[in-house]
Amino acid sequence: MKKQRLIACISIIFAAELLLLFLFAARDDANLQDTVAVNEVLHAVQDGWGKREGPGVLQDLDYVVLDTEGNVLYGTRRGLSESINQAVMHRDTVLDITVDGRVTGKLILYNDSVEYWRRQKRALTCFFGLFLLLQWGICAGYLLWLDRSILKPFHKLKDFARRVAGGNLDMPMEMDRRNVFGAFTESFDIMRAELKKARKAEAKANASKRELVAGLSHDIRTPVASIRAAAEVGAALAEHGGGMDCAALLGTVRENYAQIIRKSDQISGLVNNLFTAALEDLERLSVSPGLMESRELCGILENADYLHRGRLPEIPDCLLWADRFRLQQVFDNLFANSYKYAGTQIRVEACRDSRCLRVTVEDEGGGVREEELPLLKEKFRRGQNAGKAEGAGLGLYISDYFMREMEGGLLVENGEKGLRVTVVISQGGR
Amino acid sequence: MREVLLKTEGLSKSFSGRGTLQHVLKNIDLELYRGDFTVIMGASGAGKSTLLYALSGMDTPSLGRITFGDRVISELDSDALAVFRRRACGFVFQQVYLIEGMSVMDNILAAGLLVNRDRKALVRRAGELLRAVDIPEEAWKKFPSQLSGGEAQRVGIVRGLINSPQILFADEPTGALNSQTGLDVLDTITSFNRQGQSVVMVTHDMRSARRGNRILYLKDGAVLGECDLGKYVPGDRERHEKLSAFLKEMGW
Repeated sequence: MKKQRLIACISIIFAAELLLLFLFAARDDANLQDTVAVNEVLHAVQDGWGKREGPGVLQDLDYVVLDTEGNVLYGTRRGLSESINQAVMHRDTVLDITVDGRVTGKLILYNDSVEYWRRQKRALTCFFGLFLLLQWGICAGYLLWLDRSILKPFHKLKDFARRVAGGNLDMPMEMDRRNVFGAFTESFDIMRAELKKARKAEAKANASKRELVAGLSHDIRTPVASIRAAAEVGAALAEHGGGMDCAALLGTVRENYAQIIRKSDQISGLVNNLFTAALEDLERLSVSPGLMESRELCGILENADYLHRGRLPEIPDCLLWADRFRLQQVFDNLFANSYKYAGTQIRVEACRDSRCLRVTVEDEGGGVREEELPLLKEKFRRGQNAGKAEGAGLGLYISDYFMREMEGGLLVENGEKGLRVTVVISQGGR
Repeated sequence: MREVLLKTEGLSKSFSGRGTLQHVLKNIDLELYRGDFTVIMGASGAGKSTLLYALSGMDTPSLGRITFGDRVISELDSDALAVFRRRACGFVFQQVYLIEGMSVMDNILAAGLLVNRDRKALVRRAGELLRAVDIPEEAWKKFPSQLSGGEAQRVGIVRGLINSPQILFADEPTGALNSQTGLDVLDTITSFNRQGQSVVMVTHDMRSARRGNRILYLKDGAVLGECDLGKYVPGDRERHEKLSAFLKEMGW
């Protein structure tokens, strides 16, 4: 709107300038002197011929009257042409004064066009000066606005990026919603805040992991020592027999192995604790569902399918109960899995029923063994076809957790050609 | 199998203002049947009137689809929607909005002439309807200011029915009337419904709601529940208790 007003303003000024120029050029100034007025003066002079005084200023015209000898009889004021030569040089109007059919003198009518043009020039200069000043004002204002709204915020953004790159995540980005980067800068600041949060969480997690590792190292040392002791006893028995008879020896060896098994189980339990402790962090992932239009899914799917292996389906209109950010993570994970394990075209479909919207993502990679299906959403579980592909077996577990937090769900099954994952998104108002 | 007259799929309506989006209706899937007297109830701000206006094509939904008969009205442009609305929908509001400078008959004909150019047929139908709602012939030339509140509302109902709409939409039709005149108006609407006229009425008055055979309860922009009361029988105690129990269950 502002831009339109500015363009309109500049256009009006240009139009006014052009109009003024045209008007000036189109003026017909050929006959500046009024012929009737000139005749009237001539008649007045002729009528009053022979008198000592002239008729004075008539019709606003200045004039000088000469006799036939060239002598000045009278004039309306000083500074007028007082000879025919001067009159010709000044482009004055020279007329014969005829009394009784005889030329008795000359009437020189002052030509004031020089002054007229001087006045016109002054007025034109003033007008153009004013318009130029106005244009300059608008341009200067626009440049200032550009500087304030684009250049300065851009420089601020550059400094901010430099600070963040340098590791300073404490200084927030100054936001000004009035400039064109308002929303953009806000997203940058959200990014900074998220980075800061992530860094804090990472530091905290690292600290707790260090404690955990230290504690577990201590706890593991005891059963390891027991295993070692049992192994040493076993080795000694194998060497000397310990002076025991065969039956007693067998009993001791059995007891030794049982000890090793018990301690191994203990170590296994401690290692499981280590895994569980790492996974507890997952529970801290916050999911904040709210109402969102199903149309937003198009953008989410487009973002997730960055290799464009699937065709965007028609999403039925409805209001969803979901967390956009987490939903994006879920679809990111599904598409990344498909790229990694199947590497084929992906079929994406969406359908709505009375309670939810179901988005199905299916690849053509052959799927997984039926007995593996129920386990895929568990922690650290991967299908047999995972091979050497990188992964921790947590993606579907986390996605399932997110969807359950959004009152939806995640269904994993074998489709016609490959693995089919259905994201069940709850509808708002249900 | 009852004939579905109006169907909504994922009907949602949102209003934006001051940078926030207010979701007034959320994913409403609904089927309204021909000949039904459907009553929409709910607390203030539940979205009753918004739903009525969306169903009747007075307002367009933000999301979702509305099929009226065999036409998808949610996809019509505003001009086509206005033409459709005139032909298929009749309206009765809490305030009657009769045109002051026109007689009762002219008020009704003005609505009729938007659809039908046959003035004689219109006058005949208007006369039949006015007699049916007990407006005597001598009152037909009166101006709105000369009518009582109940009479004006009955004239409003006739105006809503002049084009033989498929559905008569009523938004709190008895809201501005006293007890007896309110009953008269309800009797009028009930009587037209008995003759086969489909009615959708928004109300928060239990006495009015009893007239419907199907009660929909709206909460926070979604249909929380519905109750089938069957055809209206005056003085049916059981019907009253059923409705009371339903409303209690809905948290009325």
